[in-house]
Amino acid sequence: MKWDEFFVTGEPMIYGAMASIVLATIAIIVGLTYFKKWGYLWREWLTTVDHKRIGVMYILSALIMLFRGGVDAIMMRLQTAVPENKFLDSQHYNEIFTTHGLIMILFMAMPFIIGIMNVVVPLQIGARDVAFPRLNAISFWLFFAGAMLLNLSFVIGGSPDAGWSAYFPLASIEFSPTVGNNYYSLALQISGIGTLLTGINFIVTILKMRAPGMKLMRMPMFTWSSLITSVIIAFAFPVLTVALALMMFDRLFGSQFFTMANGGMDMLWANLFWVWGHPEVYIVVLPAFGIFSEIISTFSKKNLYGYTSMVVSMVVISLLSFLVWAHHFYTMGQGAMVNGFFSITTMAISVPTGVKIFNWLFTMRKGKITFTTPMLYSLAFIPIFTIGGVTGVMLAMASADYQYHNTMFLVAHFHYVLIPGTVFAVIAGFHYWFPKVFGFKLNERLGKHAFWWIAVSFNVTFFPLFFLGLQGMTRRMYTYSEETGFGPLNLLSFAGALGLAFGFVILVYNIYYSIRYSPRETNGDPWDARTLEWATSSPIPAYNFAITPNVKARDALWSAKYDNLPIFEGKIEPIHLPSNSGKPVILGAIFFAFGFALVFSWWIPAIISGIGILIILASMSFDRDHGITVSVKEIMETEKKLRGETL
Amino acid sequence: MKIDATKPLEYGSEENSNKIFGFWIFLGAEIALFSTLFTVYFVLVNRYATGPNGSEIFELTGVLVETFLLLTSSFTIGLAIHSMRLGLKKPMMIFFTLTLLMGLGFLGIEIMEFFTYVHEGASLSTSAFTSSLFILLGTHGAHVAFGLLWGTSILIQVKRQGFTLATANKSFIFSLYWHFLDVVWIFIFSFVYLKGLM
Amino acid sequence: MMKQLFPIRHVMGYLSSLILSALAVTALLDIPFAAKMAILTVTAIIQASLQLFVFMHISETADTKKELYLNIAYALFVGLVTIFGSMYIFVWGWYS
Repeated sequence: MKWDEFFVTGEPMIYGAMASIVLATIAIIVGLTYFKKWGYLWREWLTTVDHKRIGVMYILSALIMLFRGGVDAIMMRLQTAVPENKFLDSQHYNEIFTTHGLIMILFMAMPFIIGIMNVVVPLQIGARDVAFPRLNAISFWLFFAGAMLLNLSFVIGGSPDAGWSAYFPLASIEFSPTVGNNYYSLALQISGIGTLLTGINFIVTILKMRAPGMKLMRMPMFTWSSLITSVIIAFAFPVLTVALALMMFDRLFGSQFFTMANGGMDMLWANLFWVWGHPEVYIVVLPAFGIFSEIISTFSKKNLYGYTSMVVSMVVISLLSFLVWAHHFYTMGQGAMVNGFFSITTMAISVPTGVKIFNWLFTMRKGKITFTTPMLYSLAFIPIFTIGGVTGVMLAMASADYQYHNTMFLVAHFHYVLIPGTVFAVIAGFHYWFPKVFGFKLNERLGKHAFWWIAVSFNVTFFPLFFLGLQGMTRRMYTYSEETGFGPLNLLSFAGALGLAFGFVILVYNIYYSIRYSPRETNGDPWDARTLEWATSSPIPAYNFAITPNVKARDALWSAKYDNLPIFEGKIEPIHLPSNSGKPVILGAIFFAFGFALVFSWWIPAIISGIGILIILASMSFDRDHGITVSVKEIMETEKKLRGETL
Repeated sequence: MKIDATKPLEYGSEENSNKIFGFWIFLGAEIALFSTLFTVYFVLVNRYATGPNGSEIFELTGVLVETFLLLTSSFTIGLAIHSMRLGLKKPMMIFFTLTLLMGLGFLGIEIMEFFTYVHEGASLSTSAFTSSLFILLGTHGAHVAFGLLWGTSILIQVKRQGFTLATANKSFIFSLYWHFLDVVWIFIFSFVYLKGLM
Repeated sequence: MMKQLFPIRHVMGYLSSLILSALAVTALLDIPFAAKMAILTVTAIIQASLQLFVFMHISETADTKKELYLNIAYALFVGLVTIFGSMYIFVWGWYS
């Protein structure tokens, strides 16, 4: 391989990206050295096994990836803003829509959700940590290694360019000879393993680590949704693992799974991809439903309407989500009976989703609603998501789908589902639980400004796409002629995208502003909330709860505050905590090297790092970790300090 | 660490029983993984293009020996756990070693079988059928190979430390893994080899 | 001592698994296709259950027994849906 093939060359923007990556890296290294923060970073963050810190690292990574994916999005909208635009060439456009999809789904939405799960779920069930804290750290570092590997593809070797669904035969070595799709198979594989481990970890945590009295039907709705999501993760991600492995074998070792000759079947890839891909949609949307349930209930000052039906509908969704995948390829060539079957299951899944919408509406009925920033996102979610859901039912009709399959109508539909469904939810959750983690609220005035920019601009960006799709504009076309008449609506959509970007700038500025000026909380419960995570102080001590809570009702804290059912009755006892470990981050780094070597078919480095992985795993198996014990005296001191009392 | 004396040592602490439970979930995920590999195999089994099909390359004798070895090793790992529950360290280690040796034998025969296939003109890149065959058998074989490394490291720990909360737990989890590989093999035996030879 | 090391339950389980494997081989005899598939399916399912109940002790942990069964049931649901759904799409239901 020549060096000019190794680095991506010939594009001024890519040179700019390279320069900024190098400069940012230097700035981080210099900054850390100058402020003598290396030790702090290693001790407090890189080696941590604390679920709250791991959650914060997930969310921070997700915010950075949101920025990266957002820049991709702006570039796509800019390129299509006017007919026959020359801003991007077709290859560059292909790479950008591919990485936009991958990053937003797998490296933004997933880690944001998993980050919030990490922070909130152990607190909501009254646990000290997740069931396997060190495995949790491994999960995070595998996700991070995968995310960095995919981002590196932008400047080294070239990004994947066959769409986020990477359909064969386009993604085969024959039609995509660059290393781009090798990055796809390896980056997703590495982070996917991390996600699978997270799923298992959270199933065990939620089923086995609940505080006394926290029966399954007393769990907060976000914990319920996390449980169901973890179950879907545990059983859907193995399918992705296999699909990606087969892709890797096809591209690196000459197997014939998805090829056009020797009996290979290119459509089998689409099949396997969506067997995982459709449950994946519910993996990112169910926890979001959980977040909205918590927020709507808190700010309506009412308990959640139809708790049992919420749970049942999530269980039904999780089962149905494995029965609908063929609706992603109605036009592939399977018979009418097959399409009919999958059409019916797809429409069926809108029933439990509809049940949830009505439950949220009834929760607010006659409630004392306060319009905080998280509540505004939740309120905007309901009508916008309903538009996404209704257009989804339109797409579910197989015969009608032939008309708008793979048009901008589809693009508009899934943005109308995923942005209010997931992005609004994680932003709302971010605002809602921010004071829990950091001890102060985000500024409400700036938060509401950002909300209005984001909510209005979202509709300006994506509503026109429905009409463009019905007029026949297909997705993923990098430019179009003036005669098509697509110009004006695309320009409007670009204006909306700018507004969205501005909204996100306000959001980020709000974080900076609030760190500087926001008043500090001394009470752990700034929203007058209902669930257990608000019963401990903010910021949260390492051991979460000084006394193991004893749960007596569904909204445990609310009942403690207003129904005289106290949660903390025991006395303080010494607490056992797991000790930090550097091995997860090292494992992540070796996995990164392993993936990178395989991308370029460098066999010797790949074998060396493969052996390295086995050595780290073996050394973990031989480790004797006895953890640390926090004494009663230390707990008392920490508790006093957190309550703002002087010692 | 609180030890619950009413339960076998491998379930003796909360952490231990969490690990066993978590491993069961992992096995559930493995069921989904092997099901996907079977899906690929079943869809592609008749797409052998110009290469050989199953009945032309499968040899019943080798497969029967592999099956016998794996079934017997599943029996011995069960006996190893039984001895462990009786607190008998030496029999446990003998049964455990026998298990690993039979796993090694299985793997040796499988590798020889792969060489024969390639020799007969059925390599990974011959056809969609051979690709799916190799990936299904190979994934199972890789699990066995990983099991050998893992099992050896557990055996060393049992020898050094005897039966503790940690080693008993690991040995039990390893036995679950090994039995599971046997279950997968039964389906390979029936629906790949026997069905292919039909 | 031998009785202690070789409990009857395990020995019977082992012998049945050998017999079931031998039974499965009878699918190679000259009998109708449906009968062959029936033999393979039935013996494989019994063998798998044997491993699950006799050797893996799935039913011995009282506190998580229900969860373990649910776990296996869910995994089988996903696995079977994937296998038969894909066969439905590509083999039985393919437009021709």
